Amino acid sequence: MSTLDSLTDILVRDYGVAREKVTSDATLAILKIDSLSLLELMFKIEDRYGVKITEDTPTDLVTVNDVVGYIDGLVARRLKSRAVGASEVPSGK
Amino acid sequence: MTQRRVAVTGMGVVAPLGNSSEELFTNLRAGRSGVHRLADSQARGMRSPIGASVSFDGRAHFPEPRLRMLDRVSQLALVAAGQAVADARLDFAGERRERCGVFVGSALGGAGTTDEGYHTLYAERSDRIQPYSVLNAMTNAPASWIGIDHELSGPILTYSTACSSSAVALGEAARRINCGEADVMLAGGAEAPLVFGVLRAWEAMRTLATEDPQDPSASCRPFSRTRTGLVLGEGAAFAVLEEWNHAVARGAPIHAELSGYGLTSDVTHITRPTVAGQANAMRAALDSAILHPNDVDYINAHGTGTLQNDAVETAAIKAVFGERAYSIPVSSTKSMHGHLLGAAGALEFVIAVMCLKRATVPPTMHLNSPDPACDLDYVAGKARDGISVRTAMSNSFAFGGTNAVLIAKSVDRH
Repeated sequence: MSTLDSLTDILVRDYGVAREKVTSDATLAILKIDSLSLLELMFKIEDRYGVKITEDTPTDLVTVNDVVGYIDGLVARRLKSRAVGASEVPSGK
Repeated sequence: MTQRRVAVTGMGVVAPLGNSSEELFTNLRAGRSGVHRLADSQARGMRSPIGASVSFDGRAHFPEPRLRMLDRVSQLALVAAGQAVADARLDFAGERRERCGVFVGSALGGAGTTDEGYHTLYAERSDRIQPYSVLNAMTNAPASWIGIDHELSGPILTYSTACSSSAVALGEAARRINCGEADVMLAGGAEAPLVFGVLRAWEAMRTLATEDPQDPSASCRPFSRTRTGLVLGEGAAFAVLEEWNHAVARGAPIHAELSGYGLTSDVTHITRPTVAGQANAMRAALDSAILHPNDVDYINAHGTGTLQNDAVETAAIKAVFGERAYSIPVSSTKSMHGHLLGAAGALEFVIAVMCLKRATVPPTMHLNSPDPACDLDYVAGKARDGISVRTAMSNSFAFGGTNAVLIAKSVDRH
């Protein structure tokens, strides 16, 4: 299942968004996903993709495609860190 | 200037024993109790795990995405307020919305959300606090949501004076209409305290009733020598208050007049009630309604079932009404629906209005052993039907010392 498909499922099931409205270029505003809904969505993304989001949610996620790109980036980083045996938790401050 | 009068044109109730004012009153008249054993998830470890809950599932009223933004207290409030608007046959589209407002009383606000958040942090040791937690838990959420849903852009306020919160909300809303600042006010109260942390905190105060081992539903026994405390309940009750001529002009159903409101404070101790504070609130309500003590036909008592309250309230009623106190029916319906804290005043005002409409006074149940300190006519055990109730008083007294008294007058009095 593609990232877009699984994100669409979450938006339809948990946020009451009509499936036909979820397209790559649909804006989160049009789908009535406000900033707090987006924060909550991050918990669901963590569960669905087995990733841990440690940084603040980016403020430049405007469209569904932006969210898909963000998730794909998280997943790629997780795979990379596993490959090199590194911890996902940022070390040092 | 003549004071503008306040009509009660709509009522809505989501409470133990009934999800409408009619259903509730029918059950109260029959002496049924809404007190029962609570689920272990709510009350584990309690010595007396009892409460009065509402038969209510938010999923039947709100879609899933919206439910996440509504603590149970807001769900109950929105449904009861919606009922009141429908009952008043009021379409706000024809109103000057900036002259319509919402006043809500709540002691604890979104207590369930707060409880859940702490559970997440302390018990689960997770940092996944729901982003909506603050908005769901804030005490003014019910009032704000009602305002948003009905697009009422006049004053929207929340009163939190513990157990008198919604009596204050109704009284203050009536004042806004009296003085000409508003034409229509949606006012009432909501409370959803049947969550683990809140129940245990109340238990720690030693004010909750001991569970009756034979019959848990009979655990709350106001004015009885065997009373052991109050039983917590949840729910919401709302009224549409309307300037009298405004209601008449649109042909609204007028249930009663909210004719009196008295407000005083005890200022002696954070929990201990005073005879003077309660008596002065009753006198102030009578004065504002321009009524004599002889005019009062029924008193819905605060009657929590605690040792202190019931004796002090009895003394205060005697201080105000003198010998006549003994011939006024006084009942505590909390014996059946429990103590709804911030929603109690509004619920019991609605019950008082129902007494006017039905010419019936509900009983005080489980009063099986008279207390010499409580020697009034408490309508023990059985409703009194077919009596003329033209003026009913509703008492609400609170921790913190805010005493609020409301008076409902029947319509045919005018």
